[in-house]
Amino acid sequence: MLSHTPRWLLVLILPALLSIGAFFLLPLGFILLESVYLGDKGVTLHQYFSYLSDPKFHTIFFRTLKFGLLVTGLSAILCYPASYAISRTDQHRKSLLMSIVILPLMTSPVARTYAWMVILGRFGLINQTLKGLGLIREPLRLLYTEGAVIVGLLQLFLPLMVLNLVSAMENISPELEEAAQSLGANPWVTFFRVVVPLSADGLVMGSVLVFTGSITAYVTPAILGGTKILTLATLLQQEAVVFMNWGGATVIAVVMTVLTIMLYLGIRTFRPRMV
Amino acid sequence: MKSSRFYLAVLVVLYLFLLGPFLLIFVASFGSEPIMTFPPKGFSLRWFVKVFTVRMFLDSFLTSLWIGLASTLSALVIGVPAAYALVRYSFPGRSILEVLFASPAVIPGLVLGFSLLRFFVLIGNFPIQLGLYVGHTVILLPYTVRVVSAALRNLDPSIEEAAVSLGAHRVRSFFLVVLPNIRAGVMAAFILAFITSFNNVPISLFLTGPGIATLPIQMLIYMEYYFDPTIAALSSILIVITVLIVQGAERGLGISQYV
Repeated sequence: MLSHTPRWLLVLILPALLSIGAFFLLPLGFILLESVYLGDKGVTLHQYFSYLSDPKFHTIFFRTLKFGLLVTGLSAILCYPASYAISRTDQHRKSLLMSIVILPLMTSPVARTYAWMVILGRFGLINQTLKGLGLIREPLRLLYTEGAVIVGLLQLFLPLMVLNLVSAMENISPELEEAAQSLGANPWVTFFRVVVPLSADGLVMGSVLVFTGSITAYVTPAILGGTKILTLATLLQQEAVVFMNWGGATVIAVVMTVLTIMLYLGIRTFRPRMV
Repeated sequence: MKSSRFYLAVLVVLYLFLLGPFLLIFVASFGSEPIMTFPPKGFSLRWFVKVFTVRMFLDSFLTSLWIGLASTLSALVIGVPAAYALVRYSFPGRSILEVLFASPAVIPGLVLGFSLLRFFVLIGNFPIQLGLYVGHTVILLPYTVRVVSAALRNLDPSIEEAAVSLGAHRVRSFFLVVLPNIRAGVMAAFILAFITSFNNVPISLFLTGPGIATLPIQMLIYMEYYFDPTIAALSSILIVITVLIVQGAERGLGISQYV
């Protein structure tokens, strides 16, 4: 740590502090206020009660959570063995594999999601293949289904799980596995009793990122779910832009924010050294 | 080794799942039918030609480019000093600031976009372009602070101490000693932040309007009305550019460690 004067410190920090204050905290505070303050009626939770008791909201809320859990679970199952293979390869190959794995995160979300329309569309790969094999006559409706949204989210968020698992597994010394094996453990026992417990931090961190990402993603459910399979994010957009229902939209915005903050606070409490 | 073959098989499945769709979109964009089909019928380059002749794609590309450059540079100018203060000095409230500067990446982008719309455009009569620029700058700040902080942590503070003890002013030592030594980190932050801005939908969704749209928003609008493979062709172009940038940035800067 270097020595400093308060003025120099202020010069360094003030620009960032002012931008965050004016263009982040203030707008968020404003919609929080807007969600409870109803002009002549004063401060009330009325908008929350009326919007959160709507059965349509319940369906969408629990569907969104279900997507989050499914995507997190599936990506953990798929990424654990794959990340292990990546972490045990040489540096050159690892670098190549990692640069490929982050592609879905770096590609334009519209381009990435449109690719699934090529596969799932009415005249897409799956329907044309099934038709060609004579298994179906009429194209199946694969787009605008829950499955389509889950598959799209999975492709987007698998990389986050891989990144976190690989960085956790890199720190496990291969000698530990050799020790387990020389003491008689078979490769599966070694994997589940040595590698998995020692990479649990990566799994938890990856899971939180994948889960929060999945329940707040917009482009994927917008394109692959449309107005049939709404999630909290697409519902927020619909209420705000289509119905101009500012009250409902602010309530959804607050619910989404509270959900993500709770997850991060949970992680800070239970695994403080990770964040 | 049966087990290692299993890990390898899962790895192959994972990469097919991640990359397969990109290859298919590439093939689909060469079809000649006016409705996107797979496998494509015929061969034509007309959708690629159309990408460059549709005026709104060019306009929105330029908007994305300018917003991306302006907000990335702003987030660096604001974020580099903040990162420097957080890494080099210890002062009361430092850990709170760390959380605060990271928080725009934690709060859902859609929520922030919506809040900015309500706050500026409807209440304050704020020009929409300015709102777009401000919103992008705020969401890029966590990236520049995080990546530059990581670069600073790898730089030995004793070389700055040497500069200062030899009489250089703090500002001078920052520009002549610190900055040149973390330029790879600043470069990685620039690339990561620019890509994030260029691809952003949740913020732009609410802060675009008639006459001003970023490229991803324009693509979403186009998809609502047309079903031809133009979006496939444009997506292919964007994917190829992304692959080139990411490969270059991984080789030169090891960018995957910062994502």
